[in-house]
Amino acid sequence: MSNLHALLKDNLGERVLLLGNEAIARGILEAGIGVVTTYPGTPASEIGDSISEIANEAGLYMEYSINEIVAVEVAGGAANCGVRALSAMKHVGLNVASDFVMTLAYAGVRGGYVIVTADDPECHSSQNEQDNRLFALLSNLPCLEPSNPQEAKDMTISAITISEKLELPVLLRTTTRVSHTRQPVVYGRLTKPKLKGELIKDVKRLVMAPANSRPNHDLLLKKVEEAKEISETSPYNKVVHEGKARTLGLISSGSAYNYAIEAADLLGLDARILKLGMIHPLPEKMIGEFLKKHKKIVVVEELEPYLEMQIKAIAKDCAPSVEIYGKMNKPYFARTGELSVRAVLIGLAAIMDRKLPIDFKKIDAEYAEAIRGLLPRPPVLCAGCPHRASFYVIKRIGGEKVIYPTDIGCYALGFAPPLKVGDVMICMGASIGTAQGIRKATNADVVAIIGDSTFFHAGVPGLINAVYNNHKVVLAVLDNLATAMTGHQPHPGTGLTGMQTRSERILIEKVAEGCGVKYAKVVDPFKVKEAEAVLKEALQHEGPSVVVFRAPCALMVVRERRRRGLRLAPYRVTDKCTNCMACIKLLGCPALMVTEGKVSINEALCAACGLCASVCPYGAIESAE
Amino acid sequence: MEEFNIVLAGVGGQGILLAGEVLGTAGMKEGLNVVAGEIHGLAQRGGSVVSTIRIGDRVLAPTILDGQADVILGFEPLETLRSLKYASGKTCVIVNDEKIPPPELSSKNLPYPSISDITKKIHRFTKRVIVVEAASMAKKAGSSLTQNMVLVGALAATGKLPIKKESIIKALGELIPKRHLEMNTKAFDLGYTYVEKLIQHALNF
Repeated sequence: MSNLHALLKDNLGERVLLLGNEAIARGILEAGIGVVTTYPGTPASEIGDSISEIANEAGLYMEYSINEIVAVEVAGGAANCGVRALSAMKHVGLNVASDFVMTLAYAGVRGGYVIVTADDPECHSSQNEQDNRLFALLSNLPCLEPSNPQEAKDMTISAITISEKLELPVLLRTTTRVSHTRQPVVYGRLTKPKLKGELIKDVKRLVMAPANSRPNHDLLLKKVEEAKEISETSPYNKVVHEGKARTLGLISSGSAYNYAIEAADLLGLDARILKLGMIHPLPEKMIGEFLKKHKKIVVVEELEPYLEMQIKAIAKDCAPSVEIYGKMNKPYFARTGELSVRAVLIGLAAIMDRKLPIDFKKIDAEYAEAIRGLLPRPPVLCAGCPHRASFYVIKRIGGEKVIYPTDIGCYALGFAPPLKVGDVMICMGASIGTAQGIRKATNADVVAIIGDSTFFHAGVPGLINAVYNNHKVVLAVLDNLATAMTGHQPHPGTGLTGMQTRSERILIEKVAEGCGVKYAKVVDPFKVKEAEAVLKEALQHEGPSVVVFRAPCALMVVRERRRRGLRLAPYRVTDKCTNCMACIKLLGCPALMVTEGKVSINEALCAACGLCASVCPYGAIESAE
Repeated sequence: MEEFNIVLAGVGGQGILLAGEVLGTAGMKEGLNVVAGEIHGLAQRGGSVVSTIRIGDRVLAPTILDGQADVILGFEPLETLRSLKYASGKTCVIVNDEKIPPPELSSKNLPYPSISDITKKIHRFTKRVIVVEAASMAKKAGSSLTQNMVLVGALAATGKLPIKKESIIKALGELIPKRHLEMNTKAFDLGYTYVEKLIQHALNF
């Protein structure tokens, strides 16, 4: 929705088309949540972004925290004072936050506290596709899982209620297909957020020293038993589809439920369907009763057999003869990637020995023929992206011999040809740490690549480690002055906050110096020669060094110029061009094209950065101005 | 109503998400159940992008089953080909002829296939194909950035949508910032008029 202020309308019963994440933002407003914290990450970003736009008007506090663990600490601290709070993050963000969350489960909260984990099956925009339902089992925290935006909003409010009843944080687990699905959502009443609370000092409850942790662990398990009772009567756990024959029962939750219903319909199956929305703890009695009533049970779920494992354990005690199908013994559904109506259709048809209503083989064959020879179109660095200039400089100086551990952000795309800078990439902040091990093991020159937001998020401890243990590595910070990949959210280097106020910028080079780095310099990546000289020096420096490549994200530059009504003067190829293809082979800029055998620049795409002009050996590219 | 499935396919940055939101909002205004699927984040950076809109009382999943698209709105010729797994004989394909070569095509100095070769391939799935010169119409409207609305206009004129033109115009008014509204409405109208005329001459569309 382009005008997020519409989220603030107190129109009970109005139907509004909302993205799943916007629906969670609306749920925040209806639940009277006072503190919202996040670190941006796809597919969770729009929760925090929506709230950031309207936080002042809504009268709540919102921040883009430096990383996910600080986000849960800030929100958890407020919740300990009786203020309602929510933290939103992508699935891998919960790994970062989990140290705090696992033990906050022992201490509990007084104000309702919801932790949103937005999972990304199929790795649409992530480095892995871990199934965070397992975090619910690991932490013993209650977990709700919506199937659509309406449920995402409603469950945000229910999660607060459950959290306050049990005095426990509650997980709200979405996936890409819920967070990024747009559907009409019916508004409820807004609740004025309460921002102020009180910390009631209680060492036994809040100081998790071993003597206090042990009894609190027992208390947590008691709360799980209470949560089971809530789960048994939860409106989110219900039989939604009454079959007549009582032979086949389906159990599903989240996005998978949508596919299960549509696939069962297409196959004309007479099935009863148990939809689970509170997925931890599971309603064991309800599931037991459901199992007893059927001969065959099919569990339809995405990623890990989280439900299937537990349902099989329930069956062992109360319905040992029921046949249970899913992905454990024989894989009717894949344990990797996203499910789809097609995948569920194929699995169900195999289990029920039915003929498929659609000839997928024929479609596949025709499709394969239509796309034969069609080149893939992977995401690329945008035209005018300053990272391209940085990578060009880094590659010119470091060549093929230098090892380049890289990190999470747009600049991860640097691994692709023609730039090919990026040899190892695992998780946020890992570039600088892995660089040190690689240097130790190989003695090779190592240039670690990290973004500005990622540097603040998880790069600093690694940098201090490099200084203190004297690892001779270069850290290239590609600073484009925003958390660009997720939508240009602010970070401590930008001078902006989630409340849309100004704050004093924290400069990466100063942080580096404060960490004890003796060589820390800032360069403009588009000033190629100067940047090359600095990087060369950094590589020769004894001990760790930092080079900050600073230039704003091209998308921000283009938007700003458009907003001000300034024309971009695109570059053009003159007749001095010999078609040597150097620009295309070195840069891979999407605005550089070959049309009818000749190099040309696409006017609409060119962001006028001028990098191609500076690499052309014949001076054949010039500004059209 | 029976379900109606729309696929929007193109390259990240072409305004596909906004086009989808316009159609979804218009459908919702008519009281229809709309379920739209989007992909955000890294995939948006110049990569292949597919958005889906499904309309119908029984629709739950945001994604579309193979062969089940009623309409494919192709923002770029090669991306239209890539979306053909959603096509069958019933599908109406609208394709923008504005070519954006994939980076590998340029770096390997390979030719971009001709539009007639591309439509031939689409014809193997369906005879209902409309080629729209959205780029030139968008420029006429005031900016090449309005190609998305030219295509939405073209789609509206096919008469296939279960959504009225007026609802789309209303949705435009709500979703497009005021200073860009006139340009976008003009783009919509140009796309609409073009296809409206085209269809008058086609008997069997």
